[in-house]
Amino acid sequence: MTESAVIGKSALRDDAYEKVAGGQGYPVNVKYPGMLHAKILRSHHPHARVVRIDAARAERLPGVKAVLLPKDAPQKAYSPVYFVPTLAASMVQDMLVLSERVRYVGQPLAAVAATTPAIAEAALELIEVDYEELPVVFDPELAMRDDAPQIHDGVPNNIAAHPKFEFGDLEQGFAEADYIFEGTYETQRVHTCYMEPRVCVVDVDSRGRVTVESSMQHLFGLREKLAFVLDIPESRVRVVKPPYIGGGFGGKLDLGYIEPIAALLSMKTGRPVRIEQSRYEDFISSARHPIKVYLKTGVTKDGIFTARYGKSILDTGAHATHGAEVINVHGFFGFLLTYPCQNQTWEGYTVYTNNMVGGGFRGYGAPQGAFAVESQIDEICEKIGMDPIEFRLKNSRAEGDPHPFNPEFTLSSYRFEECLRRGAAQFGWVNREDRTRTENTKKRGVGLACQPMWVSGCLGFPDIYEHSGAIVKLNRDGTADLAVATIDLGSGQNTTLRQIAAEELGISVEAVHITQSADTETVPFDAPSHASRVTYSAGNAVKGAAEAAKERLLEVAGTMLEADPQDLEVREGRVSVKGSPSGGISVGAVVERAESPFVQMTAVGPQPTTVAEKGTIIGVSSMAPASNPSPATAQFVEVEVDTETGEVVILRAVFAHDLGKLINPMGAQGQVEGGFQQGMGYALMERLQFDPENGACLTPDFLDYKMPTAVEMPRRIESIFIESNEPTGPFGAKSLAEPCVIVPAPAIANAVFDAIGVRIRQLPITPEKVLAALGKLEAN
Amino acid sequence: MKQIVNIEVNGDVHEVAAEPRDSLLEVLRDHLGLVGPKRGCDGGGCGCCTVLLDGRAVYSCMVYVLSAEGSAVTTVEGLAEDGQLNPLQSAFVEAGAVQCGYCTPGMIMTATELLADGEDLDDDEIRHGIAGNLCRCTGYQKIVDAVQNVARNR
Ligand code: FES
Ligand code: FES
Repeated sequence: MTESAVIGKSALRDDAYEKVAGGQGYPVNVKYPGMLHAKILRSHHPHARVVRIDAARAERLPGVKAVLLPKDAPQKAYSPVYFVPTLAASMVQDMLVLSERVRYVGQPLAAVAATTPAIAEAALELIEVDYEELPVVFDPELAMRDDAPQIHDGVPNNIAAHPKFEFGDLEQGFAEADYIFEGTYETQRVHTCYMEPRVCVVDVDSRGRVTVESSMQHLFGLREKLAFVLDIPESRVRVVKPPYIGGGFGGKLDLGYIEPIAALLSMKTGRPVRIEQSRYEDFISSARHPIKVYLKTGVTKDGIFTARYGKSILDTGAHATHGAEVINVHGFFGFLLTYPCQNQTWEGYTVYTNNMVGGGFRGYGAPQGAFAVESQIDEICEKIGMDPIEFRLKNSRAEGDPHPFNPEFTLSSYRFEECLRRGAAQFGWVNREDRTRTENTKKRGVGLACQPMWVSGCLGFPDIYEHSGAIVKLNRDGTADLAVATIDLGSGQNTTLRQIAAEELGISVEAVHITQSADTETVPFDAPSHASRVTYSAGNAVKGAAEAAKERLLEVAGTMLEADPQDLEVREGRVSVKGSPSGGISVGAVVERAESPFVQMTAVGPQPTTVAEKGTIIGVSSMAPASNPSPATAQFVEVEVDTETGEVVILRAVFAHDLGKLINPMGAQGQVEGGFQQGMGYALMERLQFDPENGACLTPDFLDYKMPTAVEMPRRIESIFIESNEPTGPFGAKSLAEPCVIVPAPAIANAVFDAIGVRIRQLPITPEKVLAALGKLEAN
Repeated sequence: MKQIVNIEVNGDVHEVAAEPRDSLLEVLRDHLGLVGPKRGCDGGGCGCCTVLLDGRAVYSCMVYVLSAEGSAVTTVEGLAEDGQLNPLQSAFVEAGAVQCGYCTPGMIMTATELLADGEDLDDDEIRHGIAGNLCRCTGYQKIVDAVQNVARNR
């Protein structure tokens, strides 16, 4: 392979220039002429039937243009999850846009559109609602009991989904074990904390055509779900691609209530309607599901797994939403596939409660699994006296092994061992007994955790979309326009895709421009920006489109240079015969020729051209990738625990990740650093809290919901990228995004154990829990 | 009842009719069309809305616009010099400190105040200086680097 011109070199982001100057391109800034503003009335009760709802006074308030009540909304059940077909059998269709039965505090009940947000807000106060309160249940294990209140009709024991998978002979495996370990690990509800709220503008024109702009993660998913809910053909919904959004992290991976409500209000009023959620509304719109994981594990004294049993109870809240899918990803990638073992059983329960609904969040079930599995491995190693690196390597897969999730593929690039070894070397890992210990009240400890198997998209998953498309169009000045449906959530994927196109086309990354305008009518379908898939899946599509454009470029250049296109190459923006870069012509000149009139003016006078040369040089692709290669990850941290205050400070963090070919080093570091913040917040401080009596959110703002600031973060987060060549990836690349968030929490928990000798099996590890574990505080 | 407020924003004097409850953020974004300051929480918790008010970094969502009568406001739109990004803005681009960018204008305004005091800034001082601005994408490391680069090179 010749040396890459663009791949592997840090590229500056195009969008950053605009963002530091003000940042126009966010959905939050979208305004339409004559636009109305809507606000949503939300339930104060966690479980109730509405017996009377009267909006007469609200309707009379000057400035109010329309009120939407449950009777005005389609009573058509749906699942809001973007990346599956609307009626996919695996998903549970249990939501209504507006319902007279409310199942959690904050569920929308009515909406008002008015000339200003303040009038809409005031009008909500004038809507009178009488409720018949119903019995409530907030704890998923209580909700599974026979005498529990029923949250959805026809769902016994409130179990929305109950997947179970068995491999080998569990009993036999436990019989072969020298040791059996049991433990229960609990995680909490956390929010993605994207900074831009969920916000949309919907405009329904007089012919019923719907235009939508929204801060979300999937152009085509929004089109499909909204058309389904409104019961109109998909082609009548046009979703405009935002140039950028203010973060998503999985939290904008489903149809919100806001888009259908705005659409229905726009239909009623004939005017565009905007809805911007408050931070409180965002906090109760989506969250990482709390999962309680019970593990029973058999190992030999040599540290080999003989049997693994897992049971996971997921609190999906009032509706299934992502809960029916998260439980499966959690079961497979959070437990079953992590380490090979002949005898394994796992079962999961997705349980309805009267809590808020869950959603997507980087890792999608794996952080909860990794916290359990990686904590327990640490307990096993402590007991059998084995170094945790050695233990993991004894129970790992190797490059060339069959892919455990997709047996038709192999792990064609897989460097788990290297992640552990190089991470340990840079971190300076020493065996537990050789660590130096301090005698003062601040105790230091080190820990590690891994995510041995992950995804580069969803190929092989039943019911989940996994294909991408791209259009590459060359311009007469030698630049390229790249049009894709995939939305850059902030991660910098646009820059990565520009690099892939530039490398293939032989032009500079600065010469590739992502089109600012795109919508569901103009770009090929793409699955969402999720599942660590964009670099790999969309990257392959972009490369395919660039290849097609290049093929045409070389054909035209061949006629100009009187050479066989096969003998030509493009480098640094010039087309020339391979091996003689000095001759040749610029890419721009070739495009100009292709787009010229039949007689083209050139430096040497008028030149005739041929019909065969004519036409825009363009390449289109739409494809699913060839495989779903797994990356691998190891995280090492050092912590200091203050045994007087219970505070945990992260002193060092080293992250090693096998990503195939590294495309943009600076962008990749940014993913790791930001991912650590999210993982560390999960480990130590973040938790959505609710009143145990009435279900009201007690952490509705950033003063009560604590996420790490620059001060709490470790002073340096070190990234090690283990490179290899993934044969099916664009220029050898696979994925990065999610493992960065998955591994910090168990690594921190293991380091806390190393420091103070007590194990905390419930996140977050707050000072109160540390002090309670040390016997210095009554646990509550 | 609306009242008239006079405020200078990025060097231009504006006369705005505002309700007493209107925040400076609302007036900047919705009346004056300056979308640099962002609404992340509307409650003094995120810092996305940070602007300079008479040279001091404030959460514009927490300032009643009537109380800003006669004040001078600088938003991120007011930083470029002759159409060129200023050194701090450029440093954010070059250090990779911008991901989704939603926190960026507020972060830059806070850092502007921090850098204005002329003292040398170490890593800890920068981190404490920007602790009132949340970022969910970057882990802050490259933001700290960007501010440090400007502090060193001035
Ligand atoms: S919007 Fe002002 S601090 Fe969040
Ligand atoms: S760059 Fe996204 S919040 Fe800071």
